[in-house]
Amino acid sequence: MEKKKGIKVLLVDDEDVFRETTARQLAIRGFDVLTAESGEAALALVKNDPPEVVVLDLEMPGMHGSETFVEIKKNDPHVEVIILTGNTNVDSAIELIQQGIFDYLMKPINIDELLYKIEDAFTRKKLKEKQHYDFGM
Amino acid sequence: MLKAITSFSRQLLARFREPVLPAPDPPEVEALRLTFKSRFHSFKLLLAANTRVLESMADLQRALQGEEPFSTAFVQARCTSISVNVFRMINDMENIAPAKYSELRQSFAAIQRRIDALLSARKHHSDPRLVIPLEAVNSDMADLVGGKMANLGDVKNRLHMRVPSGFVITAAAHEMFMAADGLQKEVDRLFQVAGSDADRNLDLVSSQIRQRIMSADVPEPIYLAVVEAYEQMKKQTNGQEVRMAVRSSAHGEDAENSSFAGQYRSELNVTFHQFFYYYKQIMASKYSVQAIAYKLNRGFRDEDIAMCVGCLTMIDAVAGGVIYSKNPLDSWDDAIYINSTWGLPKSVVDGDDLSDLFVVARDEPLTILRREIQEKGYQIVCFEDEGCIRKQTRDELKNRPSLTDDQVRMLADHAIRIEQYYEGPQDIEWTLNSNGDIFILQSRPLQQVESIQPPADLDLQPFATSLLIDGAINVSPGVASGKVFKVAKRVDILQFPEGSVLVVEQALPAWAPLIARAAAVISEQGGFAGHLANVAREFGVPALFGARGAMTTLENKEIITVAADLGRVYRGSLDVLLQWRRPTPRLMIGSPVYEMLRAVSDHIIPLHLLDPESPDFSPNKCQTFHDITRFIHEKSVLEMFSFGKNHSFSERSSKQLYYHVPMNWWILNLDDGYTHEIKGKYVKLEEIASIPMLAFWDGFAAVSWDGPPAMDGRGLTSIMFRSTMNPALAPGMRSKYADRNYFMISKHYCTLSSRLGYHFSTMEAMVSERSRENYLGFKFKGGAADFKRCLGRLHFIKEILERYGFQAVVNADNLNARMEGHDMEYMLSRLKILGYLTLHTRQLDMIMNNTAAVNYYLTKLTKDIDTLLGEHLNP
Repeated sequence: MEKKKGIKVLLVDDEDVFRETTARQLAIRGFDVLTAESGEAALALVKNDPPEVVVLDLEMPGMHGSETFVEIKKNDPHVEVIILTGNTNVDSAIELIQQGIFDYLMKPINIDELLYKIEDAFTRKKLKEKQHYDFGM
Repeated sequence: MLKAITSFSRQLLARFREPVLPAPDPPEVEALRLTFKSRFHSFKLLLAANTRVLESMADLQRALQGEEPFSTAFVQARCTSISVNVFRMINDMENIAPAKYSELRQSFAAIQRRIDALLSARKHHSDPRLVIPLEAVNSDMADLVGGKMANLGDVKNRLHMRVPSGFVITAAAHEMFMAADGLQKEVDRLFQVAGSDADRNLDLVSSQIRQRIMSADVPEPIYLAVVEAYEQMKKQTNGQEVRMAVRSSAHGEDAENSSFAGQYRSELNVTFHQFFYYYKQIMASKYSVQAIAYKLNRGFRDEDIAMCVGCLTMIDAVAGGVIYSKNPLDSWDDAIYINSTWGLPKSVVDGDDLSDLFVVARDEPLTILRREIQEKGYQIVCFEDEGCIRKQTRDELKNRPSLTDDQVRMLADHAIRIEQYYEGPQDIEWTLNSNGDIFILQSRPLQQVESIQPPADLDLQPFATSLLIDGAINVSPGVASGKVFKVAKRVDILQFPEGSVLVVEQALPAWAPLIARAAAVISEQGGFAGHLANVAREFGVPALFGARGAMTTLENKEIITVAADLGRVYRGSLDVLLQWRRPTPRLMIGSPVYEMLRAVSDHIIPLHLLDPESPDFSPNKCQTFHDITRFIHEKSVLEMFSFGKNHSFSERSSKQLYYHVPMNWWILNLDDGYTHEIKGKYVKLEEIASIPMLAFWDGFAAVSWDGPPAMDGRGLTSIMFRSTMNPALAPGMRSKYADRNYFMISKHYCTLSSRLGYHFSTMEAMVSERSRENYLGFKFKGGAADFKRCLGRLHFIKEILERYGFQAVVNADNLNARMEGHDMEYMLSRLKILGYLTLHTRQLDMIMNNTAAVNYYLTKLTKDIDTLLGEHLNP
């Protein structure tokens, strides 16, 4: 398996089994994976140890995923956020895309598909950073 | 299409003629390079999103064939995925060509609004009553109290028959219960997360949902309303505690042609102390394994079904059973069929024991035609404290009729009156108390099926030695053959192979989820009045019950033929019987879930934007999501071309392919399509890093072209005529750019626009380790021959492509072929075929009126391709 070193992923989901299984699958595939079980925990984490890509659930006890997304972006506008949810809702999906999430994915998800999305999100982040820092675009 | 491609080339040419900007400074080049990279990244994301949309649309199209069951969750997940990816394509397009196609957003919003209106149709109840006494219920209130209780209200209040007193907890209460603490939202989430492969996860989803419901609190307003209704009930028994039968009365449960009844739980002999526990059990039974499987297989929408609950005074039954007011297996037979057993009617419905059958003719007076008295080994009776127990029948009762002739006639009379009231045959559950009073417990429409009678002269004597079972009860007609699979415990369900014959000891409702996957059903116990028999008839699966000794006589995995109408089972697969097999009903078609999908698909799948040259090929003419994706795909390719052309920086300018000599092939590098930075105007084949382009070229250069096929006079005239009409076609008159063939490449992507001779073809390929994103698209059109022969060539190519796994269609004068989702190696082998065909179908249109020549080329081309792939289809 090709190592995806350098891509630091934060996985935020309140469902323990899903979070731990997915984290393990991503780690095996070479990602550097952090996990958080709530929006609040995620925010505390990103401040100290900023990830490059966040995979975020929406329906969680406490802070809702969409609010967590806004706060994460405030902390670091260049971080890319992928929503991965069990509650299908087109309106909220479109709104979140407009607000700048990288993609809106639905559970259940094939691990390879999630992996590709994380890679693509990482590429976009790098391109945007380069434009921003080199050319002020 | 010809027009489309000519114009596409024209647009390309126009780009060439545009003044090219002077070479920029190095920092500007760096900025340009970055902008280009960013656009190409958006382009790749756009292509991936496009593939996802097409994939989901293909899923919807498959579902529309109505052969496989699917749920609302499936439709919703696919539609959301399509919306999200179309919207992302619009965003990506915006990154590629800022502000150029912003009208797409309005088209998207309009289509999305129409889809939303179709998907979000959860019912709300305008009547806020949470509990209604049975005296106030009638059949106009089915929405509020469920079909079962609505009908029972009629029997009590309009037909004035004896019905236990009681009340109904309504659909409004169900809505309140499910809304509290986001329970409904959680249920929807669990369904979605389970995925479309719900069958496998059914046990898990079912138990998760039922646990959530059981651990929820009953909202206080429901609690108070029930307490009040119960106090009213107690007044009729002088304040004594009342034992209740708590029965499901869900929406759709009593609908014609559906056997919902029995899917849900009913609890007998419940004390008030335990009432709310059982109320929740019944709410949870909406999500039992058999209820979920049934809804899925019939295409019922979970959100259409509110679980109302009837609470009736418990009748301590001496006997009970089910009446069919007509023969369910023969619509010509209007005799009344009464199934009866000792104790509560539950064992008749559950099919776990044999029961008596009385057949009554509608003569005046009513005549009992037949009495089939069975040995009733067990009966279900009320426990003294609470609940029920299955106990052995006393020896002196076992073989005695469970009804007197008078009681039989009284029951038949009840059945006739109820049938007349509802104007159709009925399925009636009844019970008899110790005073001999008849109580009606439910009445619903009876479904009847046609019997299939074997021809009188059919000689089955030669198969007498293969006869395994004879004299069993036909509960669902038809003939089927399959391997025996015995099911004894719940866990066996998971291993049940599709198309097997289900063999069980008792005809329990728990086996119902297997019916849709079984070829036939054989049970040692049970009769045609049981729930499992109902489900078998509904799904058109032949079934034999009362097949004594089946579990020991039949061997697992042995192939048998079940002839339900004859009551027989034979060893082996008997064609002489199987010829009466009837087609399986396609239950999804016309179901609520199916209709929802059909309506939504109308806004997603049809393609109106066919011709890129038409003035209607514009963002505001997009009527469906398919239109939007088609439009974006077309424009994004053009935009990517134009960017490289309009900005002159060396590695983005097109270069001429050098393969032994300079070729008439031009290459535009989008990203990482070259092995290194190339200076000068040529690029050598070995400097190309594009995996799909190299595979295409492999096929293109593999076999040298024999030159044009021999032509007749007509062929020549045709070429001359068409060359006159279109100067660009005439070899001597080519403009500088007209004969160029363009590749746009990156490492994993390649698009080609080519014109060889007189035909045009375009090819697009995305090939990497990401199998799911892989695809090939190939379009072909044109030719110098007349229309008929050009069309002949299109079908000729189509046939070859289909032989190698492409999906191909010929529309008007063009061929469109696609392939997606295969692994890299497979995709590359198919690219070789496209390369080969691009060269070797040159001018083949000219011979399309000569069958012998067509056959010669078909053989030659496929032989070449097989050699090319190292495949030998006919060794």
